Amino acid sequence: MKILSKTGNELVMLAMKKETASKGDYLIIEDEKAKRKMVVQIYDEEYLSSQSLIEDIVKDEIVNASSTENLHDPLNISNLSKMIRDARVFRAKIRAAIDLSNKLSNDVSWLPSRVHSRVGRLKISELDLLIQRRGLFPIPIGKAGVDNEDFEIYAEDLDGKLNIITGKKESGKSHLSKLLVKRLVQYGAFVIVFDLNNEYGGLAWNNDGSPSSIQEQVIVLEPGNSLKFSLDYCGKAAMSNMLKNALDMPAASLREFFRIWDWLENKQMLEIRALGNAITTSNINELVRDALISRYHVIQSSRLFLDSGNPEGLSFEKVISEKYKGAVMMISMGKATPVVRRMIVELVLSKIVDLLEKVMIPPIFIFAEEAHLYIRDTYWEDIVTRMRHFGIYTTFITNQPDAIGDGIYRQVDNIFLFNFTSDTDLDKISRVSLADTDTIRSIVKTLPQRHCLSIGKVVCDLPIIVKIAAAEVLTLGETKKFFTRNNNDG
Amino acid sequence: MIAQLDLQTCGINLNEVECVFERSLNQCLSSKLKDALKGKKIMFTRDEKNLFPVQGWGIRASTYCMTPITTIQPIVDNTTVSASDSSAIQIAETEEGSLYAVKSGIAISVGGNTLMHFKIGPILFYLSEQTIRNSEIDHRLARVVLVDSHIAKRMIRMRVERAIQMKLCKHFDKSIILIDGSLKSSLFEDNNQNIKNIAENCSLQQNSIIGISKNTRFKILDKISYPLTKIHCPAYLEVDLIIKSLVRNTIGDNLMVKFGNNNSPLLRADVVTPNHNKDEALGKLLGNDSIAEGYPETLRLAHHISTFTRIEVSCLKGHVLSNYDVTELAPEDIRKTLLGSISV
Repeated sequence: MKILSKTGNELVMLAMKKETASKGDYLIIEDEKAKRKMVVQIYDEEYLSSQSLIEDIVKDEIVNASSTENLHDPLNISNLSKMIRDARVFRAKIRAAIDLSNKLSNDVSWLPSRVHSRVGRLKISELDLLIQRRGLFPIPIGKAGVDNEDFEIYAEDLDGKLNIITGKKESGKSHLSKLLVKRLVQYGAFVIVFDLNNEYGGLAWNNDGSPSSIQEQVIVLEPGNSLKFSLDYCGKAAMSNMLKNALDMPAASLREFFRIWDWLENKQMLEIRALGNAITTSNINELVRDALISRYHVIQSSRLFLDSGNPEGLSFEKVISEKYKGAVMMISMGKATPVVRRMIVELVLSKIVDLLEKVMIPPIFIFAEEAHLYIRDTYWEDIVTRMRHFGIYTTFITNQPDAIGDGIYRQVDNIFLFNFTSDTDLDKISRVSLADTDTIRSIVKTLPQRHCLSIGKVVCDLPIIVKIAAAEVLTLGETKKFFTRNNNDG
Repeated sequence: MIAQLDLQTCGINLNEVECVFERSLNQCLSSKLKDALKGKKIMFTRDEKNLFPVQGWGIRASTYCMTPITTIQPIVDNTTVSASDSSAIQIAETEEGSLYAVKSGIAISVGGNTLMHFKIGPILFYLSEQTIRNSEIDHRLARVVLVDSHIAKRMIRMRVERAIQMKLCKHFDKSIILIDGSLKSSLFEDNNQNIKNIAENCSLQQNSIIGISKNTRFKILDKISYPLTKIHCPAYLEVDLIIKSLVRNTIGDNLMVKFGNNNSPLLRADVVTPNHNKDEALGKLLGNDSIAEGYPETLRLAHHISTFTRIEVSCLKGHVLSNYDVTELAPEDIRKTLLGSISV
């Protein structure tokens, strides 16, 4: 490979066909005279093209289409000519330089020599050594680099961070998030998953049907069954948030609701049936009563709250203390209505924040699939700013990058970008992402299935393409289809 | 004003200079251009190429011509039509000589379809005093070839083409062999492979040989063939008398031909046939080769496959550099250096 030109932070390099490299590969340019090195990343590949070359190809095609060619070329010039036709141009972004003391530096203002520079490929392991990317809790997520080396990120780089996993449908987003969840739990972390498609339950099982290594730590919480709270446990704050934000209860009605709540609490009768009786019998304005009754029916039909005489409801602190080696609580929202989803999220987040404030539980990792479907707009900012400080570390998983506001992207620490073909999505991502527009637009558009471009702290801000490893756990949540093989055979 | 003063100081009279100009060109530089050009049809030339007016020179030209026109009837009989062409370029210079590359193409057609083509080369020739001394080239020609690269290229091209034509006329029988250019003996030909020998071999093998020139230096031919432009089908007219009076060493029948219909170009063709039946030879050409834009497709294909592309030239230079242990010297365009490069 030879350097052809440099514009801004972009290098253009000429390569012959046998000098293979792929988009995302890292190269090291060593200026032998200046004794300096530069680390660049290929983001685009195209043919070496000139008008005369194109004219040649067209002419040859026309001639060979009209008659059979017989060639007598003793100097083998036609082969050389074919080599030129197959020559390619790599466009690369300058990512860093290596100074005389062999340390990575940001001084990329110098020009490597076109004549005396040697271009070589840089392995991911070599890159890791250069950027000193290391940690105590590795999460192997797949393979990367020219030699298909094993690639791992470190749990420390997800800790206290805001992450986004995005890509088009069936590109492998959930697959990666399951890998992350599993490994975090193995390292003793506590994870809550808002499972929109009831697919994370498979984490308890291996592909072959045997129990997975974290089976004991997997807790599936289904609304109406295992996901039930007592009113007392939820507390006024969580209920207030739920009524206000999920059920749009006006302030006047809310005041009356909590007057009834306080009365029941004093009488030690705070339970769902008593609440219903109190609303119908208490002396309140008829319009307010109607408002309270309609909300009460929604609360009752959600089956998120315990009836009198039922066993004890869910207690996060209890689960966490019992599963002290780490656990994943999967809140299955696949069968819940949109209103109930919003109620669940309000209750869970409010309660978790409350527990974290009281230092009753350790920090929690939250994985939210298509969060825009159940998290209200005003909550986003709260999640990325306030909740981070309490110890809620969120990973958003979405196929609609435009559903996440620019403010969130600016706060994000890590992005795992899967394939996007839509220009609108690419525009959105490239505008707000941590990497440059050229890299995003060119690489992401051509990423194969289950390949992602990792950007951010997990890769020390040097974007790396990772081929995500095959799932060890049972894959659930696949689209149910009518035209299955059996149907066709039948 | 300043300029006038300067000229007077130098003692140069510009009016006298103009007279010197006129005398030098024997009065051809008309001082009365207005009268000389009045009413004339004019076609501006471009890059010294031979151009021809799209609609011909007009009705006045027809007064030159009284020769009868013969129409050509296509004869489809699976006669083989072969065409060859070549090109030569100068690749490099050394202190002692020059390095040339030659490339040839042969195209073969039967029944109106092009069957196959042969690309030969590029092949390198190094012409220096030593290499020429060892060859059979006449020593007077050799001296010219060593100092004039244009002549060297013509010689190389001519010799290669004649060798191919000789091969074709020996290989085929009862075929049509097309040559790019007129059928004329040349100083550059090899004694054993000259056009006369080729024509002789063609007669033995009952091949017809047709040399087609895309343009001619003789303006009279453009004018004399004006009536052909009015014919709407393939046709020819004989121009033997004119050609033979202007050029020595041509062989065969000299014709102006129109191979296509309506506005097809008029081409000069020299035809040598074993039975002196040029109508049959031209008919077989029309019937067994495809004619596009009034030009035989095989000849067009032979031309295209024999021309050098810029990429090939670059590859050849690369080949020379990497295989022959030479040291490349940076070239300098002295003309550009001295005159500058103000583009207009």
